[in-house]
Amino acid sequence: MKHMTGESYPASILSQQLLVGVAEELKLPLLQIARQLELAQLNGSANLATVQATAQTALQLLDNYVLGVRLALEPQHFPLEAVSVSSVLYDASQQLDAFAKSYGVSLELNIAGKYGPVLANKQGLQAALVSVGAALIEAIPALEGTQQLKLHLATHRSRYGIIAGVYADTKKLSNEALQRGRRLQGRSRQPLLNLSQSNGAGIFVADAILHAMDLHLMASRHHRLHGLGTVMQSNHQLQLV
Amino acid sequence: MNKVLLIEPDRVLAEVYKRAIEADGLTKVMSVTGAQTAIMAADKRRPDLVILELQLIEHSGLEFLYEFRSYPEWQSIPVLVQTMVPFAEFTDNWHLLQDELGVSAYMYKPHTSLRQLLDSIKEHSLVPQ
Repeated sequence: MKHMTGESYPASILSQQLLVGVAEELKLPLLQIARQLELAQLNGSANLATVQATAQTALQLLDNYVLGVRLALEPQHFPLEAVSVSSVLYDASQQLDAFAKSYGVSLELNIAGKYGPVLANKQGLQAALVSVGAALIEAIPALEGTQQLKLHLATHRSRYGIIAGVYADTKKLSNEALQRGRRLQGRSRQPLLNLSQSNGAGIFVADAILHAMDLHLMASRHHRLHGLGTVMQSNHQLQLV
Repeated sequence: MNKVLLIEPDRVLAEVYKRAIEADGLTKVMSVTGAQTAIMAADKRRPDLVILELQLIEHSGLEFLYEFRSYPEWQSIPVLVQTMVPFAEFTDNWHLLQDELGVSAYMYKPHTSLRQLLDSIKEHSLVPQ
């Protein structure tokens, strides 16, 4: 069984910038919880489902950051395995469901088609997709001119391999925006200026997790939608097992 | 009815602020997520007060302020900046915000309770409540 090598991944997974980004990002859910509870004290009505979803997603961001660090430091504990992309996307959508509801975003799962297993670490792949998904759930309602508050978790085959990603009806999810964001991460309050009002830590945590698995976060198209995802190679050998 | 234009990109926070501000039954909140829709909302229905986050997508809160203050009929409308950006990061530009762009107050969002926000609205509102 092949193990992931963390050697090629620079120290940026552990970088202070990413940690600061996560800390900055966590201010928002904590603030949301504090103000919702204060509102409950003032008005006597609390939306406990939203409070719970907010807390859960904040915990996930922390967990995903820690996973990214562990993937880079202890790759031997995260072996590559035969992973069903459809199953990972389904599980990711389940994890994101309550959070999406709190933002009024509907999730759609597009996992039709049989693509066979890919070689990846299931935990890492799911954490990356959840991390991107949560970041986009926050961002999409804030984008001006967005018609549909809908996020698609989808997989499809391209000439490069099997792609799993998170898609929306906005052209702002582009490689250009992602590359500019990577350059500005840690130097700007809003590295993804046209996409997110926050520092987009969830996107960069996903970027780091995928990088630690020798995968790459990239812009991708799915039908008429734009999104962020990763390309994986199907493993024919595994399909025969 | 007092009309407040709330420019808040986070949907969950916007809903909380809206519910808190409208609880008095005398105030109507127009909530928008960005600078362009804020200008359109103000054009459609003149606000009595604006609450502004500086960190917005595409056009910043500062860009909104320049545009907003360029219209004579909106120059006297109080603008309260309530933002995730700490004051230390724009101390040098505070005089610009205060003197040239007419910002009435600065509030660091993580440290501003709903009660403090409501008090600030009351303090700066031009319409008697």
